[in-house]
Amino acid sequence: MTSDLVFLLPLVTVTIGAILLMLLSAFEKIRIEVSSALAMGIFAVAFLIQLVPVGPDDVRPFVSLFNGILLVSDFTRIASLIIIACGFFTAMSSISYFRQNSFATLEFFSLMTFAVSGMILLTMAQELITVFIALETVSLSIYVLVGCNRRSVLSTEAILKYLILGAFAGAFFTMGAALVYAGVGSTGFAAITDAIAMGGLLQNPALAGGLLFILFALFFKVTVFPFHAWVVDVYDGAPIPVTGFMATALKTSIFAVLANVLLLADDIRGTWVDMLFYLTVFTLFAGNLIAIGQNSLKRMLAASGIVHTGYLLIALIAVSGDSFSGSVILYYLAAYAASTLGIFASLSYLSGNDEKRRDFDDFKGLAKVRPYSAAVIAIFLLSMAGIPPTAGFMGKLYIIVTAFQAGQTALAVLGIVSSILSMWYYLRLIIAMYFHESEDAFEVSSSRSAPYCAFILAACVLAMGLYPVAI
Amino acid sequence: MLSQWLFYGFATLAVVGALGLILSRHPMNGAMCFVITLISQAGLYALLSASLLFALQLIVYAGAIMSLILFIIMFLNIQPADLPQETGRWGFLIGGSLAVVPIGLLLLKIVRSLPAGETTIIGNGFGHVKSVGLVLFRDWLLPFEIVSILLLVALVGAIVLAGKKETIQ
Repeated sequence: MTSDLVFLLPLVTVTIGAILLMLLSAFEKIRIEVSSALAMGIFAVAFLIQLVPVGPDDVRPFVSLFNGILLVSDFTRIASLIIIACGFFTAMSSISYFRQNSFATLEFFSLMTFAVSGMILLTMAQELITVFIALETVSLSIYVLVGCNRRSVLSTEAILKYLILGAFAGAFFTMGAALVYAGVGSTGFAAITDAIAMGGLLQNPALAGGLLFILFALFFKVTVFPFHAWVVDVYDGAPIPVTGFMATALKTSIFAVLANVLLLADDIRGTWVDMLFYLTVFTLFAGNLIAIGQNSLKRMLAASGIVHTGYLLIALIAVSGDSFSGSVILYYLAAYAASTLGIFASLSYLSGNDEKRRDFDDFKGLAKVRPYSAAVIAIFLLSMAGIPPTAGFMGKLYIIVTAFQAGQTALAVLGIVSSILSMWYYLRLIIAMYFHESEDAFEVSSSRSAPYCAFILAACVLAMGLYPVAI
Repeated sequence: MLSQWLFYGFATLAVVGALGLILSRHPMNGAMCFVITLISQAGLYALLSASLLFALQLIVYAGAIMSLILFIIMFLNIQPADLPQETGRWGFLIGGSLAVVPIGLLLLKIVRSLPAGETTIIGNGFGHVKSVGLVLFRDWLLPFEIVSILLLVALVGAIVLAGKKETIQ
C-alpha cells in the first residue's frame, strides 16, 4: 500500500509544487526569478524521482482504492520524463523572455506546473472520465497561459479561438465517452478491450461511434489535418515560452493518450486504418503547404508542428500492438521536444522587446553578430529537418523503418517526400542567418538563462542522435 | 406509457431551448432559452430516478449559474445598438447544419442500435444522496479528487485573466 505511493511520487511532487507556487504568488515581495527557480527545482526533483527504476513493469497503484484507474508502465514513465523536462526548460527560458516582455505574473509558473501535473495524469489514466478531467486541467491552464499577455490583441484573439474550439473538442470527447458508456456499460479501458474482444468493434455501434468521437477530440488537440486550422493563429498569439511548451509537452501527453486508446485492441486500428492513412497523408502535406507560405517564424514553427504530428501518426499506425513499447514514438517525441524547445528558447533570448523580431527577414545576418546563437539555432533546425547526426534524423529514420516493416510502404515513402519538402522552410532561416549581411545589432535579453537552456538542449539533440533504440 | 410521453416532451423542449439559444439575437433571449433547456434536462434526470441530480440541476445550473449569467448580461447593459451586424448569418447556419448532417446520421444509427428500455421508478434509494455519495467515494475516488485541481486551475486562471493589470518587475 505505502509502496504504491512511490509510483505516483512524481505526480504528487509536481502537484504539491504547483499548489505551493500558487500560494507564493499571493506575496508581492517575491520576484519572478524566485518563482521560476522554484518551478525548475520542482521539475528537477520530479524528474530525478521518475528516473529511479522502481519495481516491475506495469503497476496499477492503489488498485483497490482507485479501482485500477491509473496504470504506471515504462511508456508512461518515459512520457512523463519528457513532459517534466519540457516544463523545466520552459521555466528556465521564460526568465530571459520576461526581461524583455513586461507582463510576467507569478501565477504563470503555478499554472504551468498545474498543466504538467495534469499531463502526467493524462499519460497514466486508464479511464475516460479521468482522462477528460486531466485533459480539461491541462487545457484550462494552457488557455490562461496563451492569453496571459492581456495588452496584446493577437494574444486575446489566440485565447478566444483556442478556448471556443477547445470547448468544442471537449464536448466531442464527453459525447464520445457517453456513447462508449452506452455501448459497454463502463468507461474503463479494460472493459472496452473486453467488449471488443467479445464481438469485434463494429458489432457495437455505440462503442465504435464513441471511440471515433474521442479520437476526433484528441486529433483536434494534436492538430491532425481537418482539425488543424486553429494552430497557426494560437501559436502565433501565445507568448514564445508558452508556444514552445504547448508544442512539446501538450503534444507528448496527448500522443500518450492516443497511443493508449488506439492500442487498446488491434481491431480499433484495423477498422480505421484507411481513415488514419488519409488523415496522416493530408496532415503531412497540409502542414508543409502552410509552413512554406509563412513569413513569421512562430507561424512557420506552428505549421511545421502539424507535419511532425503527421510523422507521429505514421508511427502510431505502424507500431505493432502486441509488443508495444512505444519506443519509436517516445524517441521521436523526445527528439522533437528538444529541438522545438531549443528554438523557442533561442527566440525567447533573441526576439527583443515585445517580440519585435518575428519574421525570417528580421534574423538576417544573425551569424555575423551572434555566431553561437546562430549555430545553436542551425543545429535545432537541422534536427527538425531530419539531417544526420542529429536526434531528429534518427527519429525519422526509426519511424520510416517501422513503417516499412509494418508493410506501410506508401506512408514511408510519403514521409520521406514530406521530409524533403520541409527542408524548404527550415533551410530558409539558415540561409537568412548565414548568407546575408546584418542590418540589426541584435540586442538581447539581459538574462542568460535562455541561452544556457538552448546550449543544453543542443547538446541533448546531438547526444540523443548517438543513442540507439530497439525498434 | 406516460413516462414515454414525458420523455418526448422534455427532449423536444430541451432541443427547442438549445435552438433558441443559438438563434436569438439578444443575449438575454438566448439566456432565457437556455433556462428552458436546463429545466427540461432536470425533467429527464427525474424520469431516470436520479433524484439528487434532478435537485442539483435545478439548484446549481438553472438556479445559481443561470442567475450569474443573467446578472452579467444585465451588468453589461447590452442595447440592440451594441450587437454586431451579423451579415450572412443564415448562410453560416445552413452551411454549418449541412456539415454536421453526417454526424447526425451516425448518431441516429448508434441510438437505434441501443436496446430499448422502459423508464420505471427504481427503489432502494437509487439516486439519493447516500447512494450517489457511496458510488462517488468507492468507485470514483480519483476523478472526484482531481476535479479539485481542475477547479483550482480555473480559479487561478480567472484571477490571472481578469484581475487588476499590474506587473512585477
